[in-house]
Order: sequence, then structure tokens, then C-alpha cells
Amino acid sequence: MSVRIELIAAPGCGKCAVAQAKLHAIATTMLGEDAVVWREVNVLEELDYAVSLGVLSMPAIAVNGELKFSSLPTPERFRAMLSSLEHS
Amino acid sequence: MHTIGEAAALSGVTPDTLRYYEKERLVMPASKTGAGYRLYDDEALRRIHFIKTAQHCGFALAEIHELMTLKQADSACCADVRSVAIEKKLRIAHKLQALQAMSKALDELIERCAGGAAATEDCPILAALENGLSVVAR
Repeated sequence: MSVRIELIAAPGCGKCAVAQAKLHAIATTMLGEDAVVWREVNVLEELDYAVSLGVLSMPAIAVNGELKFSSLPTPERFRAMLSSLEHS
Repeated sequence: MHTIGEAAALSGVTPDTLRYYEKERLVMPASKTGAGYRLYDDEALRRIHFIKTAQHCGFALAEIHELMTLKQADSACCADVRSVAIEKKLRIAHKLQALQAMSKALDELIERCAGGAAATEDCPILAALENGLSVVAR
């Protein structure tokens, strides 16, 4: 089963771009390339969706439609969250 | 230089507001007279104008403080300010969604009651508020 990971951010956010690359790499390494559906959500284009997820700050990360991080997680916290998915 | 009364009048705020801004370290008087009266310069007036405009956009004083700090921080850039604005917009959108839900709940209540001179003990709106919105109106 694939895991849908969404990074909700504003375009032009430098720290979001760096985070995106790092976290994407962690997710594909841990879960496998085919098991990750990675999507960048432009908060301005999908404001209603971001609001429905409960996003109040950026960058935020949602996994399978559920808000998991409301600020940038450390790689360790991100890995721990992915591990909990594998075991659930 | 302007006294607190002049600065307040020029900015469209009250002297109490300026004292509060000073307490919150948003606008400091440029100096004080020998007798201790506050004196405001044009930079202070610009900051008051900044606060009023930001409030008009929905920013709270704590957020305005953050914006002013970003304005003076060498390490900050436009993207940082833009993020603050987008996050404010997100919070407003959340509030709007909550207000829309309230409005919808009120529609549901209003729908239940045709008004009229019936005693309030028979009022379907009050009954629904007591029993929960899912209770079917009598």
C-alpha cells in the first residue's frame, strides 16, 4: 500500500525546498520509491484543502490526509513517524 | 518632536494606546522632556501608521511585533514576511470556516421556527439548543 505524503508550503520558500528534498529522500529510502506518493501542495492554490487539514503554519506535512507536522520535523522525527506507519 | 497628545491626534489613536504600545515595546518615545513628558519623532509616527495598517489586515499586536522584528533583522528576507502573511491568511480561513459552520447551524435553528406569538416554552429554537441540534423539531 502506498503512503501519500504531502508537503504544504508556499512557493518560493527556501527552507521548504531544502526540507522537501531531504524528507523525500528519507521517505523513499525507508519505504521504497514505489510506495511513496509525494506531493507538494501550494498553500495559496489549495488554501481550502490546507485549512481542512488544519494547517496553521508552514511548512506542514500531512500523511494519508492527516496532518502530522505543523512545522519542519527533524529527520529523526520524520523517520520515527514513518516507522510508526510501517508498524500500524 | 511631538508630545503624546499631538502624536496621538496626528495618528488617530489615543494617548493611552501610545502608552500601551510603549509597554509592549512597539513604539518607544524618541526622548523625554526634563519633566518626564514623552516626545515622539517622525519615525515613531511611521511605526504607529505601520501598526494601524497591519491591524487593518488582521494582524494582532504580537504578530505586528514579529513583523517589525523581521523588518529590522539583517538575516530576514521577503520570504519570511510573506510566510507570516500567508500563515495569517490560513488562521483567518480557519476562523471563516468556523463562522460558516456557525451560520449554517443558525440556519438550521431558524428553519425550525416559524416565529409567531407562541410561548417561549414551545420555542423550537430554545428546545433545539437545550436538546442538541439533531433533535427533530416538534
